[in-house]
Amino acid sequence: MNRVRTGIRANVSTFLRTPLNVVLALLLPVVVIEGWGQAMAGLPTMPTVEAIPIELGRLLGAIFGVAIIAGLMGLAQMISARAADRRLVQTGYPPRTLLATRLATLGGVTVVVAAVNYGVLLLTISPEAPVLTFVFLVLAGLVYAFLGALVGALLPRLFEGSLVVVFLAMMDAFLSGDSPLAADVPEFVEYFPLYQPKELLQEAMFQGTYTTGDLGFVAGYLLVLLVLVTAVFGVTMRTSGGWSA
Amino acid sequence: MTVLTGADLEIRTGEIVGIVGANGSGKSTLMNILVGVLEQDAGTVERTGTVGWCPQDPLLYDRLTVGETFRLFGAGYGMTAEEIDEAKHRLASKLDFEQYLDYRIDQLSGGNRQKINLSIALMHDPDVLMLDEPYTGFDWETYLTFWDLAEELAADGTAVTMISHLIEEQSRLDRIYEVRDGQVYDVTDQEGETDTTAGERGEETDE
Repeated sequence: MNRVRTGIRANVSTFLRTPLNVVLALLLPVVVIEGWGQAMAGLPTMPTVEAIPIELGRLLGAIFGVAIIAGLMGLAQMISARAADRRLVQTGYPPRTLLATRLATLGGVTVVVAAVNYGVLLLTISPEAPVLTFVFLVLAGLVYAFLGALVGALLPRLFEGSLVVVFLAMMDAFLSGDSPLAADVPEFVEYFPLYQPKELLQEAMFQGTYTTGDLGFVAGYLLVLLVLVTAVFGVTMRTSGGWSA
Repeated sequence: MTVLTGADLEIRTGEIVGIVGANGSGKSTLMNILVGVLEQDAGTVERTGTVGWCPQDPLLYDRLTVGETFRLFGAGYGMTAEEIDEAKHRLASKLDFEQYLDYRIDQLSGGNRQKINLSIALMHDPDVLMLDEPYTGFDWETYLTFWDLAEELAADGTAVTMISHLIEEQSRLDRIYEVRDGQVYDVTDQEGETDTTAGERGEETDE
């Protein structure tokens, strides 16, 4: 039986049978996009930022909405069934295949969550480059999906892990967001997970272009996270030796 | 924390071997090392053949159905879809959970969950069975069925090893090892003298 297909099917079934996941994925975008937009509506326009504050706020809401859901899903994928995962690995299911099915499921969920956020965003904003805007929203989600998976692999407790992901995403979206409330942020903010995806998204949405360097940076970020998740997951699933016929 | 300081045992084809000992004595630790999910600090474990492991707590995916659980673990064992289907129906019939095949694991009673836990260990007809108190939550009929099954498997050449707490089971075991004070003792010839229900004789340690 095909292990990858069976694993992905099991992961998707598990995701869909957790009602909170579905409710969060569908409702959170409306709340955060409009909430963030209205929160920034009264702020003055920044001299260095061309976007209207309310639109910038909605964009930040969308990126935060995708990141937070994808991050929490990544976390849950690593934590919820760790003991059962070890048993599955003991049966002969390769840890890397198991991780690949988890990440593939996360990728699919991230695309759906990004599509919902993008759909809500389209109700109020017309992006200059619609396809690029959607792709960069997916990229932002993937960064946080992998980050959530890494937190889950390192800190296998749902409550504590959720706090880490939620606070990180909130701080990240706020500091990366060119908000007048977060002016004069230190330079290291540029290395925060959402900073470059936000730059890409903002440029695609308001100017219809993108900077290759920013895209390369995000790709590198994803690659580093993937290597780290693979390494940590491999250690947590290590067994002491196989049985041979 | 050191749980086991010396363990020397051999499990042979066609035997039913019991591992007994007080709570916290290290029985589950020993079994986890034998299965391979826990690495020993020193010494060697030689494993040949295929193993089926039934952990003490059902380690299953709560939101999958029984059928999906068989498919996933069957894929882990490298079984074909037909082999998985055959094993699922054979074990469901034997252990009487056919009516629950479409139920999710988190919708099952403790006893039925334990049946699935055991079935996952058995589904690929392993050469060696490692069972950690496999009958927890079973009703009397299922308990008897379990022993019939264990004896059938042993007769067919499977090496069956189980952690047991019930003193009356000792007559069913070919050999008995007792885990005590971090050591493993062969107490087969001391039948009736082994206090397997003593509970708190050993110091509490993480198993």
